[in-house]
Amino acid sequence: MKTWAKILCIALLVYTIVGGFLLEVPRLNIVNESIRALYFHVPMWFGMIALFTVSLFYSILYLNKPTFKRDTYSVEFIHAGIVLNLLGLTTGMIWANYTWGSPWHGDPKQNGAAIALLIYLAYFVLRGSIENEDQKARLSAVYNIFAYAAMIPLLFIIPRMTSSMHPGNGGNPGFNTYDLDSRMRLVFYPAVIGWTLLGVWIATLRVRVRFISEKLLNLEHE
Amino acid sequence: MNKFVKLVVGLVMLPAMLIAQPIEMADTMRSEGKIYVVVAILLLIFAGLITYLILLDRKITKIEKKLPPDSNS
Amino acid sequence: MISTLILKEFTLELRKKNVISGLALYLFSTVFICYLSFSLKQNQITPLVWSALFWVTILFSVINTVAKSFIGEKKGREIYYYSIASPAAILISKMLYNFLLITILAFTGWLLFSIFLNNPLADLALFAVTLLLAALGFSTSLTLLSALAAKANHSNILMAVLSFPVVISVLLIAIKITKNCIDGLDRSVSYPDLLTLLAINCIVAAASYLLFPYIWRS
Repeated sequence: MKTWAKILCIALLVYTIVGGFLLEVPRLNIVNESIRALYFHVPMWFGMIALFTVSLFYSILYLNKPTFKRDTYSVEFIHAGIVLNLLGLTTGMIWANYTWGSPWHGDPKQNGAAIALLIYLAYFVLRGSIENEDQKARLSAVYNIFAYAAMIPLLFIIPRMTSSMHPGNGGNPGFNTYDLDSRMRLVFYPAVIGWTLLGVWIATLRVRVRFISEKLLNLEHE
Repeated sequence: MNKFVKLVVGLVMLPAMLIAQPIEMADTMRSEGKIYVVVAILLLIFAGLITYLILLDRKITKIEKKLPPDSNS
Repeated sequence: MISTLILKEFTLELRKKNVISGLALYLFSTVFICYLSFSLKQNQITPLVWSALFWVTILFSVINTVAKSFIGEKKGREIYYYSIASPAAILISKMLYNFLLITILAFTGWLLFSIFLNNPLADLALFAVTLLLAALGFSTSLTLLSALAAKANHSNILMAVLSFPVVISVLLIAIKITKNCIDGLDRSVSYPDLLTLLAINCIVAAASYLLFPYIWRS
């Protein structure tokens, strides 16, 4: 990750925290001031999906031409994505508890997020149960691609078809129509980019640690 | 007739009533300036975490430089 | 090529009758357990409970059925297939065979449920179509996963862990249509759901077709 991306990430997140608390937000019933949680809760999902997509990309590359580097990237981006998923799930539960009345409301998006978590935990179970390194990398890449393909309808199609308490459901793409007015977008989009970059940063750090330990292993063998 | 008039008046007044009824926000907290305390605390925590991350980053870079340049990637 | 492979699956299956009868018995005992545990009080089963029980039973027997399609194969036989057939032919033959098996299983399950726990469905034809589509979804997604799990240790546990999240989207839509069938809603209400189910099947089938050669190679 380049230095300018790290600086951009920090700048955007500082802006998110300052702007997210001090700028005007629309006055809505029920959510009241807690609408500001949007700047912190929703970007977790955007970031998670971005990280999982990067991981999918590296898995496809791996199947094309297997290298240690590509496998490592796809594993560590999933790691970081799971962290964002857990944070999104728990923050969502806190928010739901105060606006919808209970932490687990059977909302399709919430269920979809929980199932996405299960998919990627299963990915690590799969990796744990294969001993041969090449086979481990190849089979987990296959599962990653397959699970991503099966997750798309779950996260993007089913919530649109059933009634959901998240805004913007029932045939309406995203939530940018009525509740996210232009004032909020000024903070929301930078927040999404900032949090995603933070996830990428942490993932690349982990990738580099994996590279170092691999190199040390090679040195020991020589 | 009377009912009808009431209905029409009600419908016309509805948006006005919605506006008139203030939606509760943390306005007191803002006017007292305490919101700046919250923002300051969050910024400090964020700065701390980011500093930690940057230090970690630099440490990893240092170790990477100690190792021979990669040939396996 | 594909038809010969399917034929081979059937002859092998019919030769070892114990597997088929084992599956039938598994299904029967699950339904019977459902019946016994709910027979304590009559008319306890509301239509929604019926649909939940039905799909859980079908899901577990299907996972057990498909799991053995690759896990059961002997090592030597696999190498033999590898030398005579292309991976695509093997995958498609296994998928079609599993589809037939799951369909038989699902309809038997429905019959058993109707006998023991009555039949709350109002729209039988629509439900039959749903069962067929769900069977297609199960066979397309689980066949690949069974090949995956067969390569790892503790295959049987892994199979359940890996398949649950992938199958759930098929299952959710199937349950939704089942509810429509129970309520006897107009069929036009369920068409979008059926289409989604079909679309998911297509995505999953395409993904399996593309990915299977990579598993098979090892």
